[in-house]
Amino acid sequence: MIRSVVKRDGRVVLYEQNKIASAILRAMVETGEGNAEDAARVANDVERRLEKKIPDINPSIELIQDIVEEQLMNHDFPASAKAYILYRANRTRAREANTSLMKTIDEITKVDSRDSDLKRDNANINGNTSMGSMLQIGAAGAKAYNEAYLLRPEHAKAYREGDIHIHDFDFYSLTTTCCQIDILKLFHDGFSTGNGYLREPQSIASYAALAAIAIQSNQNDQHGGQSIPNFDYGMAEGIAKTYKKQYAKKFAEILEDLLDQDDAAETAKEIIHNAARGSGESPAMGNSAAFDLAIREELVKICSLSPEAAAKTASRARKRTYKQTDRDTYQAMEGFVHNLNTMHSRAGAQTPFSSINYGTDTSPEGRMAIRNVLLALDAGLGHGETCIFPIHIFKVKEGVNYNEGDPNYDLFRLSCKVSARRLFPNYVFLDAPFNLQYYKPGHPETEVATMGCRTRVMGNVFDPDREISYSRGNLSFTSINLPRIGIESEGSEELFYEMLQKKMELVAQQLLDRFEIQADKHVYNYPFLMGQGVWLDSDQLGPNDKVREVLKHGTLSIGFIGLAEALNALYGHHHGESEEMQEKGLAIIRFMRDFCDKKSREYRMNFSLLATPAEGLSGRFLRMDQKRYGKIPGVTDREYYTNSFHIPVWYPISAYNKIRLEAPYHALTNAGHISYVELDGDTAKNVEAFEQVVRWMHDCHIGYGSINHPVDRDPICGYVGVIGDTCPRCGRREGEMIDPKRAAELKKIYPEVAAFQGIN
Amino acid sequence: MDENNNSKLGEGVGFERIRRITGYLVGTMDKWNDAKRAEERDRVKHGSGKDA
Repeated sequence: MIRSVVKRDGRVVLYEQNKIASAILRAMVETGEGNAEDAARVANDVERRLEKKIPDINPSIELIQDIVEEQLMNHDFPASAKAYILYRANRTRAREANTSLMKTIDEITKVDSRDSDLKRDNANINGNTSMGSMLQIGAAGAKAYNEAYLLRPEHAKAYREGDIHIHDFDFYSLTTTCCQIDILKLFHDGFSTGNGYLREPQSIASYAALAAIAIQSNQNDQHGGQSIPNFDYGMAEGIAKTYKKQYAKKFAEILEDLLDQDDAAETAKEIIHNAARGSGESPAMGNSAAFDLAIREELVKICSLSPEAAAKTASRARKRTYKQTDRDTYQAMEGFVHNLNTMHSRAGAQTPFSSINYGTDTSPEGRMAIRNVLLALDAGLGHGETCIFPIHIFKVKEGVNYNEGDPNYDLFRLSCKVSARRLFPNYVFLDAPFNLQYYKPGHPETEVATMGCRTRVMGNVFDPDREISYSRGNLSFTSINLPRIGIESEGSEELFYEMLQKKMELVAQQLLDRFEIQADKHVYNYPFLMGQGVWLDSDQLGPNDKVREVLKHGTLSIGFIGLAEALNALYGHHHGESEEMQEKGLAIIRFMRDFCDKKSREYRMNFSLLATPAEGLSGRFLRMDQKRYGKIPGVTDREYYTNSFHIPVWYPISAYNKIRLEAPYHALTNAGHISYVELDGDTAKNVEAFEQVVRWMHDCHIGYGSINHPVDRDPICGYVGVIGDTCPRCGRREGEMIDPKRAAELKKIYPEVAAFQGIN
Repeated sequence: MDENNNSKLGEGVGFERIRRITGYLVGTMDKWNDAKRAEERDRVKHGSGKDA
């Protein structure tokens, strides 16, 4: 007779047959297969079987459960047996998550991040600081909970085993990815950060400061990066306000000198007021001749100036105001860039992932904003360091800035010069057909903007009248391990597509499950994003409303990595090697895009295809597959899988061909894409060559691209450029001291360098 | 800084090498994960000529 049971932790407790019966009944109720009497009968047989099997030993929980499964089958309750097995597996999963969580926290707490790959999963978090570790511990706890309690078993299995990767999994139950923040809409009438209310800004300095605050505030409501789609248009408004204010000031100063008065502010005000009434314009960079004419007439009338002196005064006021506004703008842009590089968010553990898009505003104010933000980027930080944030994205458009004679062509040229030195800006190409289809001149919201990482949102099946980049973003994304499908299909193309289809179905369902969790949140869960009307249509909701319907403006994205390795596994070559493989590669990605389009129509939600930015994932998938399949040449024989549809980084190919081959994939990956080329330091110094590469991207219909080249810096002598083994400026090797004589010489040439301050 | 330190200016200080990872720049590769470090190491330069 059984008297006691051994629990998993070794404790011995009294045996109760009732407990077995009620577990069985639970499974039966779930499947509708039996009643309490059936459950009791099965439980009886479980007991009999146990007594027979181990008459003298206390049975373990595991053994009892094995026998319950067996008896359910014997009594012909197959569905209940299955339900019972699933229940058991879920419990095991939860238990294991607990153990592995403690191990993970142990590593986060004790190991130096230089020795812990886990702690370097996100290069933007310093895992050696207290706040960074706290963030990582929180993430580990959330992941364990989400996997054990929120995922369907089949999704948990696919995620755990590396068939798919659910990105930002720690935030699974909390928030959405990202949003393009329309700063003009946000600034009008002021806004609240959640911690305090800010009035509508009145100068370029406050426009720039508040733009940084907007990025910081939103960073705490979402888990992805932050982007401003209309940086130039937004700053232009602040510049116009500064110009107007400065005009009154400069005009008064000139009058004071001219009339030998201590304070001519009132007179100046009166003249400007009258001129504005007469001409119908207030002071602005783009004033017509009528405004200056009115000013001149007022000067003659009120200050009794000669017409010549009046003309000179009007023109002088204009010039001085322009100069001052330009200086203020540069300072504001410099402050903005410095601010975003030093600002902390997310419990102090991260600098916000920030991006700004600009390049198409052709107004004098917009042009001033673009020029100055580029100059601030070019100047670098306090010691000339290259700015890491924000990502600058220059929007290229024919007729606006691409060709000689276009109004902003000079700024495009300047952007190439700066990018050749500082790695930013990157380029988004509005003329690519899949971007041009949305473009409406005079409507900047229809210009494609991108998150720096590549996320792009334009099409909108939920609301086809709102195919815009502003106020929308990605909700969540999950990536598929393409190389594994390539390996598993063992050379059969048919099997490959069959498995890919299944995997996509699985991911689509998982994205919808996650959407249900996100949609169930209220406006008060996103005090800035929704509470301040940053997200499209959220301004029509109250604080206690659910965000379900407005969230549908966002995208659910299916991503992929390792097209190159998948092709190698399937056909023995990748798409950089032959036109035939290029066709095969495009066929796979087109198949994936068609799937997303079909799902979009079916659910009237924006499913889109993403060329995944793989950071931690490139190694995670690879390690699992190496363990499973060994080192397969060209597939699993490196330490990482290739990003999305990229030609492998190690494959020798010209920039020209890499761009030509990758461009057609941009048209298919509507959730975002980026192509890089790697230039050597000397090429990057050649601005003409640099511009040619950008132009080739444009002409090949790349959507978003950037050019990598080595940017090194010696923090001692301040040299920025390519550094091999020795610094070209001071001649020291890495970690070695500068020759004292050389240091003294350098101090004379570069007296501003901090390290030289102390030497004689 | 005293005379002693003068003569050791730069000792123990490395060079910063800024690289791009998933679209973002990273100021020091110390914080990169192992796989991405390997990827960065393997990157080859693309000639800018049109060798179609």
